[in-house]
Amino acid sequence: MEGVFNYAPAIAVFPLVAFVVALAFGNYLPKKGAIPGIIATGGSLLLSALMLAAVASGEVYHETLYEWAIGDATSATDVTGIEFTFGILIDPLAALMLVIVSLVAFLVHVFSLGYMNAEGETGLPRYYAGLGLFTFSMLAFVYADNLLMAFMFFELVGLCSFLLIGFWFRTKSAPSAAKKAFLVTRFGDYFFLVGVVAIAATFGTLQFAGDDSFVAAAQTAIDDGTTLFGFDAQTWVTITGLLVLGGVLGKSAQFPFHTWLPDAMEGPTTVSALIHAATMVAAGVYLVARMFGYYALSPTALAIIAFVGGFTALFAATMGVVKDDIKQVLAYSTISQYGYMMLGLGVGGYVAGVFHLMNHAFFKALLFLGAGSVIVLMHHEQDMWKMGGLKEKAPVTYWTFLAGALALAGIIPFSGFWSKDEILYDAFIVGLEEPIILAAYAMGLVAVFFTGFYTFRMVFLTFHGEPRSDAAEDPHPIGWSIKAPLIVLGVLAVVAGAANLAPVYKLTGLEFTFLESWLDGEYGAIEGVTYGAYAELAHYDSGFIGTEETTVLIAAGLSLLLAFSGAGAAWKLYNVPEPVVYRDRLGRIGDVVEANYYQDEYQVWLAEGLTLPLSRAADRFDQTAIDGAVDGVSTASLFGSDRMKRLQTGIVTNYAALIVTGFIVLLLVLGYAGGWFI
Amino acid sequence: MTVAIEYYVLLSMALFCIGLFGILTRRNALMFLMSVELMLNAANINLIAFAFYHGNLTGQVFGLFVMALAAAEVAVGLGIILVLYRNFRDVDVTVPTTMRW
Amino acid sequence: MMIEALIGVALIGALVTFLAPNRIAGKLAFAISLIPAALSLWMFATFDGSGNALLGGELAFESQAEWIQFGAYAISWFVGLDGISLPLVVLTTILVSLAIVSSWTPIDDRESQFYGLVLFIEANLIGVFVALDFFLWFIFWEAVLIPMYLLIGIWGGPRRKYAAIKFFVYTNVASLLMFGAFIALVFGLGDAVTSFALPEITAAMLDGGPDGFFGVGGTTLMSAVFVAMFIGFAVKVPVVPFHTWLPDAHVEAPTPASVLLAGILLKMGTYALLRFNFTMFPTDVIEPFVVPIAVIAVISVIYGAMLALAQTDLKRIVAYSSVSSMGYVILGLIAFTQFGVGGATFQMVSHGLISGLMFMAVGVIYNATHTRMVTDMSGMADRMPVAVGILIAGAFGYMGLPLMSGFAAEYFIFFGAFGSEFLEYAPIFTALAMFGIVVVAGYLLFAMQRAVFGPYNLETDYDVRRAPLHDVAPMFVLLGLIIALGVAPDLIFEMITDAVDPILEGGEL
Repeated sequence: MEGVFNYAPAIAVFPLVAFVVALAFGNYLPKKGAIPGIIATGGSLLLSALMLAAVASGEVYHETLYEWAIGDATSATDVTGIEFTFGILIDPLAALMLVIVSLVAFLVHVFSLGYMNAEGETGLPRYYAGLGLFTFSMLAFVYADNLLMAFMFFELVGLCSFLLIGFWFRTKSAPSAAKKAFLVTRFGDYFFLVGVVAIAATFGTLQFAGDDSFVAAAQTAIDDGTTLFGFDAQTWVTITGLLVLGGVLGKSAQFPFHTWLPDAMEGPTTVSALIHAATMVAAGVYLVARMFGYYALSPTALAIIAFVGGFTALFAATMGVVKDDIKQVLAYSTISQYGYMMLGLGVGGYVAGVFHLMNHAFFKALLFLGAGSVIVLMHHEQDMWKMGGLKEKAPVTYWTFLAGALALAGIIPFSGFWSKDEILYDAFIVGLEEPIILAAYAMGLVAVFFTGFYTFRMVFLTFHGEPRSDAAEDPHPIGWSIKAPLIVLGVLAVVAGAANLAPVYKLTGLEFTFLESWLDGEYGAIEGVTYGAYAELAHYDSGFIGTEETTVLIAAGLSLLLAFSGAGAAWKLYNVPEPVVYRDRLGRIGDVVEANYYQDEYQVWLAEGLTLPLSRAADRFDQTAIDGAVDGVSTASLFGSDRMKRLQTGIVTNYAALIVTGFIVLLLVLGYAGGWFI
Repeated sequence: MTVAIEYYVLLSMALFCIGLFGILTRRNALMFLMSVELMLNAANINLIAFAFYHGNLTGQVFGLFVMALAAAEVAVGLGIILVLYRNFRDVDVTVPTTMRW
Repeated sequence: MMIEALIGVALIGALVTFLAPNRIAGKLAFAISLIPAALSLWMFATFDGSGNALLGGELAFESQAEWIQFGAYAISWFVGLDGISLPLVVLTTILVSLAIVSSWTPIDDRESQFYGLVLFIEANLIGVFVALDFFLWFIFWEAVLIPMYLLIGIWGGPRRKYAAIKFFVYTNVASLLMFGAFIALVFGLGDAVTSFALPEITAAMLDGGPDGFFGVGGTTLMSAVFVAMFIGFAVKVPVVPFHTWLPDAHVEAPTPASVLLAGILLKMGTYALLRFNFTMFPTDVIEPFVVPIAVIAVISVIYGAMLALAQTDLKRIVAYSSVSSMGYVILGLIAFTQFGVGGATFQMVSHGLISGLMFMAVGVIYNATHTRMVTDMSGMADRMPVAVGILIAGAFGYMGLPLMSGFAAEYFIFFGAFGSEFLEYAPIFTALAMFGIVVVAGYLLFAMQRAVFGPYNLETDYDVRRAPLHDVAPMFVLLGLIIALGVAPDLIFEMITDAVDPILEGGEL
């Protein structure tokens, strides 16, 4: 199987070729670029699956392929010379993610045939080119073997989101949303870039894995007690780790950088599916998992990750409760779910975090594509209050959507339950020892209730009850290209949880923890980037209530109870033929939540209320003070010359007199200097 | 018997001052030109006197140059005065001041 | 003889074009400009120099001839290339060719004179980058101003006279300051130098420096000259607070002149800073000025970007963002590390390409709409998809998007500056300057959103059509180069670092 890795670059190159083809020839192709995209992502999927198989057979791939720039630089840890390279790292984590990304991208391409082509959109070559570039960037990011390469493709992912969110550029709102998405994530990436530069300047390497990785170098520095840039090594690792985290928070839409994501719903729904499930938003959390060894060295950074994650999970879930637009609900659920992943990673639950990343990719892609299908059914209506009763008219959409919803709400035995429960369990046992983690856990736990509530509110409003509009009475038919991806993802949303049945293992001892052993390198892995290695680095104390078994049961029971009560509340309120709006009963709290806690307002204020006036003031200062000084010099010299020129009377006699006077004065001065008069 | 060099210098000085006086007081352009000639000739006297005094011919050669220059200058100067007269109907140098700036 | 051929072709071409009929001048000038471009590419391919031109490096295409004996000093025709100047020469020849093509549409008056001047400016620009004798260099340096003055003053916008005179006087006064300072330095060196050849002066400077001049001690003289020359070049770069001539000049200049102004003329300043201030002076002279210069650099970056944010004229936006980008160059130079100085040089080339692209794209939109105000138009992407697409690509290049040359340059500079031991508080300065990448994204995206996206609307009465091929083709070439340099910076970075290394070692003398 080893030879298969020679084809690894092609995984990313295929979609790149599709991008070029769609951009250059898209208008002349039968499906406007969809076919090359499908072929390319299909090829990527196939190759990714081969990589997965190869990793399963015990191989890993870590190869530097291209030297971008090489130079002399002495790092703070006395490493001389630095190489910035492009390389590929395929280990269990990357192989898993490659499959997820290429699968979702492939399904999104297929779905687009029904969603975009069939709807007669213009600018389709641009759309497919964007999708191709997006997939290319994300795949290259996933198997990047160093932080700089990761950063580069991380940024390209941002570019693609800009292009695709702003796909309908003739509207006013889409360009604005695209700009916001890019700017907010750029703000995060600023910190990321500072972090990359700092890590490179500190350790002289940006490799993720191996003996010459920055993780290993950081560990050595901490062990040696080195002082780096005036800090002790531990603090410096925390600082740089948090700087990189800035990029993660931006891309994964964590508080306070989450504001771009709901606006990003302006893009086509297929793009939302791609962004939320497998590419842009996933990139942030994936990065944390990728360099988890580095974070594991810094308990402070981990605690911050956990707390931000827990807070975001709850914060976003409450906002999802009051939204009326089906895509908005899903948008807030995405933010919330990524919060869970951050929580999981932050408490050292590396497997749990990655597990939820995988499950979420499937069920969120499913839900978004399902929502896209609903939007097609509803003739491009997105308000859930205008839907209802779609259950009978679109059974495929309904049943698959329901599977996704059950997974999202964390109902046993759907996939989301297993991963979310594992995260909460990991947080719980650490939280018993660490109060701050306990707080994060508590927030995550409360969010389960809201998740169950808004998920089923969405399901009931959309599919149950009586149709509440003409469109819902007579839905637009949908084709196979929409149904097929839904079915594939629906199946995955149901069964993917079987990859890691940790509670079952803990209770019965049955070996159902495939993903854990996968990430722990039992099949094949690079030393140091396995779950086991991370667990050694991040030694959290964990406590139990009673025995491990009772703790597992308590944690799982609590989260299930909350999920069911949330779903039940939604059932009670909205699973009626004619649901009514309860929004007014929330009073002022409802206003605050509906306004998204005024997060947008203060960020817009920062941009338009503070920065813009500041720049205008700077401009005025520039025009008046600095340029005024320049013009002042010219005005002064013009004024001076105007006075001076009056000496020129135009009368020759005066000039002669001046010459003579000048000559005499000169004579006298020279005479005085020469000593005549002494 | 030769005249002492001082007398030549005095003569040349007197001539130069007459010329200077003419330039500073006269308004007629022709008088101007004449005054300039006087000053040039004052310089000529100096040149030739010192050439004689030093016993070489350099000064005399320069004197010849100055005379040629003076001739050329008169030609140009008279030309200017003619144009002046044609434009202003006058040869008063205080009248044409419009060309200053 | 290659360099002479390069300059000679441009000069003769300028003369020929000047005399050619208006009708064919544009095509003729383009054909002629292809010769230097091809020659310089050939030189690039066969480049065999190594080391730094001023520090005893192996020069490529060197040629030297006695010219004038000026008192005790010999002035000679002394030209040659090293890894720093060659990329800039190639940039010049390519950009001039493309700028000529991009002026076919907008220039419809006195074409032969226009293209003649463009070729004349090319000859002088090449001269600036190849000359290794101070006097020769200074002649080229000053001669660049004349055609640029005329280009702005004759073919410019409504306030062209103001802009042209401001540009000329401002930069000329700065040159005077620099010239006087340098001559004082040479006289101060006394018998140590016998010519104005820059390598000789550099050697004398690093080998003890001047004894003093006109009652001023050697060290004081060096410091004073350093400051005077820094200010002289800072006007050209330009750095805050000497930048105000730039937006005026850019806004009034016709598109091709803007391309050359931003693309190459600004690089003369940074090139001279690198060649003179940071190569000739021993580090202990520079040391007291490091932190102030870094402060100026950071202010240029942030303040320039803030100013760009406040503008509504597309050209003014790009002009102010040049101020911002040049701030990075200064930061890289002052870092005094291989990546810092090398990245700064890389940024000169990269910014030349990207700003050239931006000005061309703005020019194409202006040709169609006759307005540059973002408030006057909206949804231009609807009518001019290709031109707008390139404008967006250029804008992202400006923001430092990875795999484009801007990112490589900025990353090198940031990395070089962050770990600099020469600059105190280097990480803080670097982090502050890096914030520019957020602001630049802010103002460019803001302008894009208003001008090219949204529903189509235009305040002027012009009929907007797709741009002709010869308007967009040069931009594609530039975009290709930008991406090529972004993917493979080693195309020129290796060459640059080879020439930069001696500076860093020489600085430790």
